[in-house]
Amino acid sequence: MKQFLALICLLSFLTAPPLFSQPPSHPCLPQQSQSIANGKSTFRGACAFCHGLNADGGFRAPSLISGHLNHGDTDDAMLNNILHGIPGTAMPANDIEESEARDVIAYLRSLQKPAAAPPSGNAEAGRKLFFGEAYCSRCHMVSGQGGRLGPDLSRVGAMRPRDYLIESIRNPDAVIAERFVTTDFGVNSPNYELVTVTTRQGTSFSGVILNEDSFSLQFMDDQEKIHSWSKSELQSVVHEKRSPMPAYGKPQLSDSQLDDLVAYLSSLTGAAK
Amino acid sequence: MNLRVPHPFRGLCGKGGLLRSNSTALFLSLLYLVIAPSTISAQVTTDQLLHSSQTPSNWLQYASTYDAHRYSALSQINRENVSQLTLQWVLQTPLTGYFENSPLVVDGVMYVTAPEDLAYAVDARTGRKLWTYKRVLPEKLRACCGHTNRGFAILGTRLFLATLDAHVVALDSATGNVLWDVAAADYAKGYAFTVAPLVIKDKVVVGVSGGEYGIRGFIDAYDASTGQRAWRFYTIPAPGEPGGDSWGSAEAAARGGAPAWVTGTYDPQLNLLYWPTGNPSPSDDGSGRKGDDLYSNCILALNPDTGKLQWYFQFTPFDLHDWDATEVPVLLDTELNGQPRKLLIQANRNGFFYVLDRTNGKFLFAKPYATQTWAKGMDTSGKPIVLDTALPSETGVRTCPGAAGSTNWMAPTYSPQANLFYVSVREQCDVFYAHPQSFVQGRVFIGSVYMPAPKEKDWGAVRAIDPKTGDVRWEYKEFSAPWGGNLSTAGHLVFTGDVEGNLIALDAETGKPLWHIQTGSPVWAAPITYSVNNRQYLSIPSGSALLTFALPESPH
Repeated sequence: MKQFLALICLLSFLTAPPLFSQPPSHPCLPQQSQSIANGKSTFRGACAFCHGLNADGGFRAPSLISGHLNHGDTDDAMLNNILHGIPGTAMPANDIEESEARDVIAYLRSLQKPAAAPPSGNAEAGRKLFFGEAYCSRCHMVSGQGGRLGPDLSRVGAMRPRDYLIESIRNPDAVIAERFVTTDFGVNSPNYELVTVTTRQGTSFSGVILNEDSFSLQFMDDQEKIHSWSKSELQSVVHEKRSPMPAYGKPQLSDSQLDDLVAYLSSLTGAAK
Repeated sequence: MNLRVPHPFRGLCGKGGLLRSNSTALFLSLLYLVIAPSTISAQVTTDQLLHSSQTPSNWLQYASTYDAHRYSALSQINRENVSQLTLQWVLQTPLTGYFENSPLVVDGVMYVTAPEDLAYAVDARTGRKLWTYKRVLPEKLRACCGHTNRGFAILGTRLFLATLDAHVVALDSATGNVLWDVAAADYAKGYAFTVAPLVIKDKVVVGVSGGEYGIRGFIDAYDASTGQRAWRFYTIPAPGEPGGDSWGSAEAAARGGAPAWVTGTYDPQLNLLYWPTGNPSPSDDGSGRKGDDLYSNCILALNPDTGKLQWYFQFTPFDLHDWDATEVPVLLDTELNGQPRKLLIQANRNGFFYVLDRTNGKFLFAKPYATQTWAKGMDTSGKPIVLDTALPSETGVRTCPGAAGSTNWMAPTYSPQANLFYVSVREQCDVFYAHPQSFVQGRVFIGSVYMPAPKEKDWGAVRAIDPKTGDVRWEYKEFSAPWGGNLSTAGHLVFTGDVEGNLIALDAETGKPLWHIQTGSPVWAAPITYSVNNRQYLSIPSGSALLTFALPESPH
């Protein structure tokens, strides 16, 4: 039943940030191979829906193999997170045996990518870009400062790997972030897509979608003003299928500036400073 | 209707009573009957259950009637005045989660079940509680997919509840007190009940949930008076029985699932009980259960007195997509190609609308009613011709419908007024990944995972299907794929609910939306209708509350 996945998923989205700095064990011994195989099986049934089929990040939870875990990357810490969940996140406790959890850890370690090189950029320079000439804070908020049109990025470093951040800056239409992880399973969770409506009188308005159903929609315009529309008042609703965020190519953001910005974003874990 | 009204004046009027005058006693008695609350402890007889469509003031069964039409002859609310519907009362519960229930209404009292096996009797005019039943459930339930309950059944003054910890319970409808409580199976092994029971004659029939836990599914009947089990039909045959060799191995069969978690239907003339079954376990990986996997994804025709199988029809043999056949099997008597036929019609989770001869299970035809990418069609026996391109793999294969199916447990409705069958349709596809999984008793056993097809927005519809042809006459589009069910009425209306929380009235002939209201939470159940003192009400579960509407009262 589909609802089963909803249950697992709603509980486990967002979850444990990426794993590992500990070196992987050697996955060539028969016993370990069996453990990895068992772990893969358990992972697919219990974890993959949120963390992605290959643990490299899903639409609701981060990569577990990017070489960096915020909530502990030792076996003991991972075991604790799997069995008991992570308070303050949606990672649930899992009702499985300790041996099964250890198999999952063995499986994740077998997938582990080489520890990512530390960001080469300068996080402080990136912070200045964010709040300065790159205009990121025009639409994005960090720790209560910034705009409201785009996703709040206060924890983005704990949620998203470096590759994802780079893609989101260079090509923001590639993946348009979900607005929130809905607790209403089955409801289409609005993302940060641009929408344009045209009234029966022929006037058009655009904004970032906040919510929508068969009868109405709500969006926020570029002045952060909220508009409420009854669809019966409109002659058209066009989902632009793109992000309102401009793509930052090299003319707008050089490679070294990108490194700085990504270093800053990667440092944002929501932890108290 | 056998209304048992307590007579508070009996002690006053009888021999030795305070009131000696017969005429006074008669007057007081009549006065009491006039002013009495419309019901207390109403009796529901088997005859009433057989003819429940004739008393549309009540809603006596999960699907209202044995044929599961969910059609009401009430027409006070109709397409001319439906826009005037006004909220009358709201029953709030202290729960999170969704109602997936259909309440019963008996002579002005509504019996409502809620998630976690919480239940109430309420005054159907005001929503005020008359009693509450709360089951103390074990901590580690294995109930898949939410701790839901889909409703009561009733016979006499007994309500029957099938519980999440795999018990069947009888409650006194006047008090909510437990009359009997029997364990059907071990919840720790993944057995649970979410189904609304069905009363047939003197028996209470239930089907088990647990298709995600590698159970061996069954349908049980219990004596309504004593709770003693009358029969059990295992939905997976034992080795040596017909169909027992359809799983590849006895081991696979023993944990093959085939649950029975949606209420069946009943033909009293044929004395046949029709009960649908669910997916084989593990649902997404068939490498360990090669065969048709009987009787998963079937409609079973059973003798309700003995539990003996009369015939079966399997919709999706060797299922790899979690397409339970646990959609409501609606019974319909109509002419087909000039011949009067007794039909069983079902909009199946696999995307096809089926029409069977319910006297013998013979396949008559099937037609897609939603997007499907897995079957080329059906052979003459109704067996699907499966496309190789729809078989799940390690790396994933996109298939429509998704695992939740083109529809699901949400109730359809058939209107004899419009001669149309209305069903909530989900347009959503998944990517299915297969991977072998070891079986551990009591542990989720699905064999890998499925995920929504990337960058595809799901959507939905209510579709009106001509049951004689399978043609879709009209559709009303919904923003998201629905989980709510449907009700049709003699007011030329179809009521439905969407997951954004709208309760919607549609013109039954055209599908035109006539009225809607935002209820504040997703609708995961079907509306019901009833009347008290000649006033028609419409109730809809929304989130973990129940909202009831009526037309404004006429000014006096």
